[in-house]
Amino acid sequence: MNPANYLYLSALLFTIGAAGVLMRRNAIIVFMCVELMLNAANLTFVTFARQHGNLEGQIIALFVMVVAAAEVVVGLAIIVTMQRTRRSASVDDAHLLKY
Amino acid sequence: MMIPTSEAPAGAAEQLQNIGEATGVFNLTWLMIALPLFGALVLLCGGKRTDSWGHILGCLTVLGSFLIGAIQFLTLLGKDADERAYNQHLYDWLDSGNLQLGVGFQVDQLSICFVLLITFVGFLIHLYSVEYMAHDLRRRRFFGYLNLFISAMLLLVLADSYLLLFVGWEGVGLASYLLIGFWQHVPDYATAAKKAFVMNRVGDIGLLVAMFFMFDQFGSLAFDEVFEAVPGASDGWVTAIGLMLLLGAVGKSAQFPLQAWLLDAMAGPTPVSALIHAATMVTAGVYLIVRSAPIYNLSDTAQLVVAIVGAITLVIGALIGTAKDDIKKALAASTMSQIGYMVLAAGLGPAGYAFAIFHLLTHGFFKAGLFLSAGSVMHGMHDDTDMRRYGALRAAMPITYACFGLGFLAIIGIPPFAGFWSKDKIIEAAFNDNIALGLCALIGAGITAFYMSRVMIMTFFSDKRWDSGVHPHESPKLMTLPLIVLAGGAVLGGGLLINDGIVTWLEPVVGHEEAHHRMPVWALTALTLFVIVVGVAAALKMYQFSPVARTQPQGGVLVHAARHDLYQDTVNEAVLMRPGQWATRFLVWLDHRGLDNLVNGLAALLGGTAGRLRRVQAGFVRSYALTMFGGAALTVLAVLVVRL
Amino acid sequence: MIRLAASETLIPAPNIEYYELSPILIVFGVGVLAVLVEAFLPRAHRLHAQLALCLTGLVAAFVVVCTLTDEAQENARAVPQKVAAEGAVAIDGMTLFLQGTILLLGVVAVLLLAERRLGGEFAASAATVPGSAAEKETTRLGWVQTEIYPLLMFSIGGMLIFPAANDLLLMFVALEVLSLPLYLLCGLARRRRLLSQEAALKYFLLGAFSSAFFLYGIALLYGYAGSVRLSDINAAVSGSEDNDALLLIGMALLAVGLLFKVGAVPFHAWTPDVYQGAPTPVTAFMAAATKVAAFGALLRVFYVGLGGAKWDWHPMFWGVAMVTMLFGSLVALVQTDVKRMLAYSSIAHAGFILVGLVATNAEGLSATMFYLLAYGFSTIAAFAIISLVRDGSGEATHLSQWAGLGRRSPVVAGMFALLLLAFAGIPLTSGFTAKFAVFSASASAGGTPLIVVGVLSSTVAAFFYIRVIVLMFFSAPVTDGPRVAVPSLTTALAVWIGVAVTVFLGVLPQPVLDLADNASFLIS
Repeated sequence: MNPANYLYLSALLFTIGAAGVLMRRNAIIVFMCVELMLNAANLTFVTFARQHGNLEGQIIALFVMVVAAAEVVVGLAIIVTMQRTRRSASVDDAHLLKY
Repeated sequence: MMIPTSEAPAGAAEQLQNIGEATGVFNLTWLMIALPLFGALVLLCGGKRTDSWGHILGCLTVLGSFLIGAIQFLTLLGKDADERAYNQHLYDWLDSGNLQLGVGFQVDQLSICFVLLITFVGFLIHLYSVEYMAHDLRRRRFFGYLNLFISAMLLLVLADSYLLLFVGWEGVGLASYLLIGFWQHVPDYATAAKKAFVMNRVGDIGLLVAMFFMFDQFGSLAFDEVFEAVPGASDGWVTAIGLMLLLGAVGKSAQFPLQAWLLDAMAGPTPVSALIHAATMVTAGVYLIVRSAPIYNLSDTAQLVVAIVGAITLVIGALIGTAKDDIKKALAASTMSQIGYMVLAAGLGPAGYAFAIFHLLTHGFFKAGLFLSAGSVMHGMHDDTDMRRYGALRAAMPITYACFGLGFLAIIGIPPFAGFWSKDKIIEAAFNDNIALGLCALIGAGITAFYMSRVMIMTFFSDKRWDSGVHPHESPKLMTLPLIVLAGGAVLGGGLLINDGIVTWLEPVVGHEEAHHRMPVWALTALTLFVIVVGVAAALKMYQFSPVARTQPQGGVLVHAARHDLYQDTVNEAVLMRPGQWATRFLVWLDHRGLDNLVNGLAALLGGTAGRLRRVQAGFVRSYALTMFGGAALTVLAVLVVRL
Repeated sequence: MIRLAASETLIPAPNIEYYELSPILIVFGVGVLAVLVEAFLPRAHRLHAQLALCLTGLVAAFVVVCTLTDEAQENARAVPQKVAAEGAVAIDGMTLFLQGTILLLGVVAVLLLAERRLGGEFAASAATVPGSAAEKETTRLGWVQTEIYPLLMFSIGGMLIFPAANDLLLMFVALEVLSLPLYLLCGLARRRRLLSQEAALKYFLLGAFSSAFFLYGIALLYGYAGSVRLSDINAAVSGSEDNDALLLIGMALLAVGLLFKVGAVPFHAWTPDVYQGAPTPVTAFMAAATKVAAFGALLRVFYVGLGGAKWDWHPMFWGVAMVTMLFGSLVALVQTDVKRMLAYSSIAHAGFILVGLVATNAEGLSATMFYLLAYGFSTIAAFAIISLVRDGSGEATHLSQWAGLGRRSPVVAGMFALLLLAFAGIPLTSGFTAKFAVFSASASAGGTPLIVVGVLSSTVAAFFYIRVIVLMFFSAPVTDGPRVAVPSLTTALAVWIGVAVTVFLGVLPQPVLDLADNASFLIS
């Protein structure tokens, strides 16, 4: 199968993720969309690794997963604190800081 | 930045004088600047502990600087004419690759003149302020600012490079800004300080751009290196640099078209007006032009523009002076006009530089004296500045009257007072150069005589128009003493011209050119005197021999000008004067409306744009993400487009 | 990274240069120890233990950086290649200079975090809900938040790697390591916790969003060059012309991630909100140190990895620099909150630093590094002073409350005025030297339009800096306005250090300029 298709797929996933960040209100979903973007990048890495015939891309994908996991820990901590304080997980509710 | 100039090529040495390494007393140059700076630091940081003796310290530091300056001057007098320039190199400030800047001071014939003027007049004004500000709770702070100003001004004139000069330039601007706003209860203060700030900024940009050009063209900002390299630059660059320097000078010296701030700056305490806005800071522009003589000498265009700016300002300033009822504003307008004379002289090239400085020095004395006298009058009149409520004060305050009178005689140019010698020389030089410029200078002299006589008459002569409850009295000794000294300067200042003293003295720095007389000197002098007498006579007729209204007649600026005339009792003259009045009114209007609007409009434009941009920051994280996403798209696009 | 040959089953052990990496290792080690302190030491002893540990670690790391610099300078350009950890970390002049800067700023930041006398800046326990009984209880018990120290150390560790990363994967990891603790630190304020938590949320979401762009950019560059090592990318850039789209898009996305970190327009939106909401000592640290690290990474990626494609990214950076300078200066004009104003000013400064960066020569590199150092110390001191101006409810950051401050506390107001003048670039302060350096570097590289915009925006910027000074010294003080609290020794020390550096770099900048000059080389 043509590796280019995987690249198109990953670009599509990236775009879906970005659109989700822009459109969804729930902080958890926004955050999951960011994770989707990271995984789209992972798919790209793996595809290129295959194309170039070296393992670097695959290793990078592993690293990225670890980093993403760390990000989840921090992110959920922040979102949960926010949720407990405001009784809402909507990112639109947090707009005290402006102008 | 400070490369020893002994290595200068022989060719340049013909035009530029040799500058020796500082020795002996010239090693103390830094101390002149450091002393007042130290005073300012102690006074501003010392807090209330220094309240009781702060003003004494303030006076002493300036006196110390004056003494150093005086000793240096006497030492210079004892040297040969070509050994009168010394350079003290303090340290390398920046030095990396093509970026070389040093900190050093240059004492030569030109800067020492300024040092003496600044420290001597500065000291007198400090002395005067001790009493003048005695009842102000923040007197210590006032002296701190004054000391800061003296320090910055000395830095400006002693700097050996444009960069260091710029440091002093900003420093005096800051001090002036602080002092204009010293009395916050003056309601106009905010606008006044703001206007002064904006206009000075415009000038600063000029100076900055000039420095940038110089750096670009000559790779240096040190005076000696720039002047050495100027002859090698193309005409276009030299003219551009000259014009940009002029823009800087115009902002600082309140010249056309950036003159308006000076009138508003009068919101500050009177000693400030005397020191900063009459004798020293506003003349920094003239210093800049004269210091840059080697640049202007190579560009006729720039020189001509300088002269024209000077001529326009001297006429405008004089016309505005005729319309002001506020004694300080009338004097401020006159400052503007007198500096116009100096700039005009500086624009005449080597024929005029020395006279510009000469007039600057005499003006420093008599104008400071006039301002301090005005302060003394205000002191006796409960801080009222409206001349329409003065009148017949000569009996009540005889010393002030005498001192103001001497200053008055000096400024209108009656022989043998200082102003006669200096102004006459400028008019003469202007006529020799160009008839139109000469005529401007001549007319200016007539108007000067008119409005100064008007001030004199409305204040000290005519009839009493005091407010009830005002009991004019002479000021204390500590205030009149500086007045007397300054009046002495106004009387004797012309002595600098004996044997062409000042011209010869300055020649190594600015050069000299023998005048080609267009008409006999005596005829011109007679003509000038005649014009002056006409001006005085007109003022006498209108103000001494007719009653002066106690309040300024009401009326919109343009519409009511004819009906509610200032001079409604002299209808006959009004027919002749109306065009002049209209011009005056128009200028005043332009001054108030036009430039104010420009300044306010600019501020509003910036504020409005910023206010709108600010709304973009709506507080929603998703909208921020959208901005970022859009930004990312733009970035990708920008990179891709470049490749196309 | 590690290449696995088909015939081999054993992975060869990597060669790690422990000495060269020791500043990073020390800081991370201290971070781990600090976590252990949290776990095992009783609450009462934690604060002092943490302080001693962190300060010792940072100073030790700084000493190592100094000795490394010394050695590097002895055989400066003779041995240009000094890459550590199998080529993933570049130890060169820029790395050492910026690491030294970050460590010093870190020391100052620890001093700020340690402020106790003002009631502490950090929530006693971040887990409690604001306004709840649990919060009151923890406050009553006088708990002190000490988890901030390990977080800070990890963040500093990430910052030390960020400009040194010679490999985009490492750079990505460093980016996350430096960011994640910062996200948390932002949300830990003791007062106005809603704002603080909101700042953390915004910073986190936008930061994660931007790092996704960054990562995707790396992926595309990997696709282009077949490696994420900067030297390999550089070789690919100068070697071939084909498959350009990958290079160009990858480069742009990489720039997005990094420009986000430095707070350049249009990726600046987080800056004002986060700077305002975060606890002031954290803001001070972020404003100073993150900029240093992020610009270090920008310099390395675009000078070393993408230097060959200079003409592709130059125009984009020109535009960003211009817009950033103008936008920051303009919007700062209308701000009413001191912290927010400084945030916009920091955006404008990012623009000025970019002017040095786009010069793309050794001069630009050294000017940028000097600017980062100068700005870092000024800004950390400025925020420290903001944390001192307080009224009953904590910090008084609204500008109107600052009216007449100069009358009540002339020394503190005077120092703040000095720092503002430095931001405005008035001569004899570090700000002037720094601006002069970047502008002259840019001039030598033909960046005259940039300089014109730069000078214009500094003129606009001067306006609002001076406005604050006027407000402090000339306006009548507000009744029961804020007081300048008397801080403990640590904060006072931090302020004095910042002010002293600002003055020193303005009056006698030569030694540091020389240092930056000598350090302006990058391993290619």
